[in-house]
Amino acid sequence: MSDQVDPADAARALNEIDRRREQVIRRKVFPGWWWWAYAVLMTALAAVVESGRDVLLWVGLALFVVASGLIDVPVRRAARAASPRRGLGARRTLTGLAAFVVGLLGVGLAAGFGLKAAGVPHPGTIAAAVTGVLFAVVGPMLVRWEADTLVRRSRSQR
Amino acid sequence: MTTPRFDELIHAPSRLSLVAFLAATAWADFAVLRDSVGLSDSTLSKALTTLEDAGYVEIRKAFVGKRPRTSARLTTSGRTAFDQHVLALQEIVARAGGSVVPPSRSSEQS
Repeated sequence: MSDQVDPADAARALNEIDRRREQVIRRKVFPGWWWWAYAVLMTALAAVVESGRDVLLWVGLALFVVASGLIDVPVRRAARAASPRRGLGARRTLTGLAAFVVGLLGVGLAAGFGLKAAGVPHPGTIAAAVTGVLFAVVGPMLVRWEADTLVRRSRSQR
Repeated sequence: MTTPRFDELIHAPSRLSLVAFLAATAWADFAVLRDSVGLSDSTLSKALTTLEDAGYVEIRKAFVGKRPRTSARLTTSGRTAFDQHVLALQEIVARAGGSVVPPSRSSEQS
C-alpha cells in the first residue's frame, strides 16, 4: 500500500503531524488575566502583612489561599483537558517556571530590603507590586519562549 | 527498534490529525479534540470508535460533578502503529529525494 502513496501526500501527512504536535505544545493553559490576578494577590498580601494587624493578616492569608485556589481552577482544568505527553518536555517547562518564581522571589526580597534601607514607606507592598508586574509581564513571555524551544526541539528530532 | 509500516487506518485525513494530536498528549478531552482538530461531534465520535475498535485508542468516560467527561488516549499499540506509520511516511518522502516539498505552514493556514 505504501508504494501507492504519493510522496507529496506523505510529506503533507508529516507536515500535519508536526502541526498537531505544535498545537499541543502551544495550547494556551494560562489565560492572560491569570498573571495579573496573581500580581494583584501578591501585592494585596504584602500590604496586609505590612499592616502589622493580626486579624487583618489572618483574614488576608485565608482570602489569599481561597482566591489563589479559585484563580487556578481554569488553569488546572485546561491543563488536564489535554496534558502534553512527558516526552514533549513538560517537566522542563515546570522547572523553568519554578526557576522563574525563585528568581522573582529574589528580586522581591532584594527590592523590599533595598527600599527599607532607603527609608521608603511601605517597602514590602512596593516590592511586591514590582514583583507582581514582573511576574505578569515576563511570565507569559517565558511560557511562549518555552513553547518555541519545545517546538524547535521536536522539529529537530525528525 | 520500530520498523516502518504504513497504516491505512491512521492515514485517513481526520484520523491522522486525531492520532497525531493524541500522540502528543497523555489524555485529551473530547471537547479539546473536537475544537483542536476541527471535527464535528459525530465525526469525532465515529473516528474515535473506529480507532478504539482497532485497539489504538482507549476511551474513558467520567463525570465531573454532573457533567459527563469523555477523554481519549493512544494505547501502546496505537502509539506503536503511529510511530511505524510516521517512519513509513518518512521513508516514502526520503525515497522521493528532495523533490517533495511539503506545503508551507503559512500557506496552509491561510
